[in-house]
Amino acid sequence: MLHTRELAVLASAATVLSLSLAACGGGGSPSASGTAPSGKTIILITPNPVGTDSFLQLGVKGAEAAAKEIGASFKLYESKDPSSIAQNVDAAVRAKPTVVVGISFSFDDVFSTVPKQHADQRFLEIDSCPKAQPSNLTCVSFKEHEAAYLAGVEAGLLSKSGSLGVVAALDSPFIHRWIDPFFAGAKSVNPSSTGTPLYVGGSNPFSDPARAKSQAQTLIGRGADVVAAAASGGNPGVFEAAAAGGAKSFGVDVNQCALSPGNVIDNVIKHVDVAESAAIRDIAAGKAGGVKVYGLAEGGVGVNALDADVASSGCTVAASPEVIAKVKQVRDDIVAGRVTVADPLAG
Amino acid sequence: MNVLDPAFAASVLTATAPVVLAALGGLICSVSGVFNMALEGTLLWGAFVAVVASHLTGSAWWGVAAAVVAGVLYSAVLSVLTVTLRADAVVVAVGLNLLALGLTAFLMREILGVGGTYTSPDLRGLPTLAAALGRVPLLGPVLGPQSPLVPVAFALVVAAAWWLRRTRSGLRLRGAGQHPEAAASLGLRVAAYRHGAVMAAGALCGLAGAQLALGNVTLFSEGMSAGRGWVAVVAVMLGGVRPYRVAAACLLFGVAEALGFRLQGAGLPQQLADAAPYLITLVALVLAASAGRRRRAGGGVVIARKDRGGR
Repeated sequence: MLHTRELAVLASAATVLSLSLAACGGGGSPSASGTAPSGKTIILITPNPVGTDSFLQLGVKGAEAAAKEIGASFKLYESKDPSSIAQNVDAAVRAKPTVVVGISFSFDDVFSTVPKQHADQRFLEIDSCPKAQPSNLTCVSFKEHEAAYLAGVEAGLLSKSGSLGVVAALDSPFIHRWIDPFFAGAKSVNPSSTGTPLYVGGSNPFSDPARAKSQAQTLIGRGADVVAAAASGGNPGVFEAAAAGGAKSFGVDVNQCALSPGNVIDNVIKHVDVAESAAIRDIAAGKAGGVKVYGLAEGGVGVNALDADVASSGCTVAASPEVIAKVKQVRDDIVAGRVTVADPLAG
Repeated sequence: MNVLDPAFAASVLTATAPVVLAALGGLICSVSGVFNMALEGTLLWGAFVAVVASHLTGSAWWGVAAAVVAGVLYSAVLSVLTVTLRADAVVVAVGLNLLALGLTAFLMREILGVGGTYTSPDLRGLPTLAAALGRVPLLGPVLGPQSPLVPVAFALVVAAAWWLRRTRSGLRLRGAGQHPEAAASLGLRVAAYRHGAVMAAGALCGLAGAQLALGNVTLFSEGMSAGRGWVAVVAVMLGGVRPYRVAAACLLFGVAEALGFRLQGAGLPQQLADAAPYLITLVALVLAASAGRRRRAGGGVVIARKDRGGR
């Protein structure tokens, strides 16, 4: 009896151990691809497992593209939590790659100190920048608020009730870049329009479609006929609610129109891959340091309505050429500085 | 903002249904004397299998059936390890919860070919009761938007209460949990009852997962159980082994969640609205504990009888 019991304890302990390793993945199990005759390497570190996030998928795509162009090998370190981010950065620095790339604001802390200790290593942070930026750290950030404003213009023109909503993951300053400018854009074309944000929250705010759907239903129930999604993995839940309630929605980061045909007007696009590979190319060519900001002018953000192939995008805005014309005009105004979009992060 | 409108009641039921199904599974285990902490992982696994089966067969009901079978098989690991091999139930459950998270993410890429979220306009969700109940006053707006599994969930609570209290097998299950040695000495196969209870919990969690992924929404996303299984575990701790109390605890969570959504709309900060279900849990735990103390201090005979029925 004792024997089987011990066996069972061992078996279950071993199960837990192997499973936690399998489930975490990160913290030191890098996956590599490609070979590098040049000896150049790019290491990309993500704050979360990539699978949960279209944004991180774009980050991987951009780093892979840049690696191919400059003939470097590419390695991906996926982190599971803040402590594994620091461990992954340590491991990356020890490998002495051409550049260590960190993606998202989760790296602000580590990248404000670690680059100073490794002065001859070059670092790149995508989508954020620490307050005290070391000289060997390059930052890439985006003006998401400019694209969200354009989406708001479309919403203002297409909404019949003038009542708009946004279902966002969390009530945080960064996420407000998808909320406040959206409502401001709508107000610029329809001064009487009103906007209400609701937040997913809970224990898994970035991947809880059930709660996201519930929030969208609440907004639609109160008269909103355009409900934009800014809930990451919860976005499809918002689209479902819109489809069932006769409302329209907006996607984020990538073209999500095909997820719910006929119900998504457009997307607030962020060309993370484009900006990231450009920055990596610059660093490899010796142009390191500073902050590179990608807005509408640089083509780093946008909406599908601006693309030449909008007709095949599956987005419903394609059926409204007058809206597309207006969006292009507002884009030109923003690029020329005639319209300034307030940045919720700056306020 | 009208809190008592039918839409509010509907959103409470939607939020509660998966939790109450999982909690019912936890309760049956708890009655049989097994502490089942693997509800979260089993629920997630059920949600995944439901979506995959619906995707492959084009029928939501095959999705539900597959989720139930998959839940039973998944729970069988817990039941074999803890009941037969006497491993620590908590350790095994932690392993199963982690396994579900990793395995569903991995199989999602293998079978569905995407990471993160899988959704498709072709994926079949459960039908709603709108066609059957749409015109019935009161019942229509509340139950109309729900899948048929929602009334089934609440009917199962009543069935479980009746079964545990009124049937021979229910009594034996309680015996296996309350006094396994005595039950065994009377010829009861305690292990068999516990195996059955854990697998029944697996079936219920599979049902809960199917309701979450094919009823509440029609998609699968990594980690979409989002703590609902843990809420079920807490509901079992709050409600003890009484089905109606456990269901009430689940309903409390549903109300807190739906109310949180509404209060957010009325200007309450999201962070505070988020805390509502947990605050309510804390308050309920404190109240339950102090009520228990009062009862114990009250008088011997009544407590003894209650305790036999309850714990």
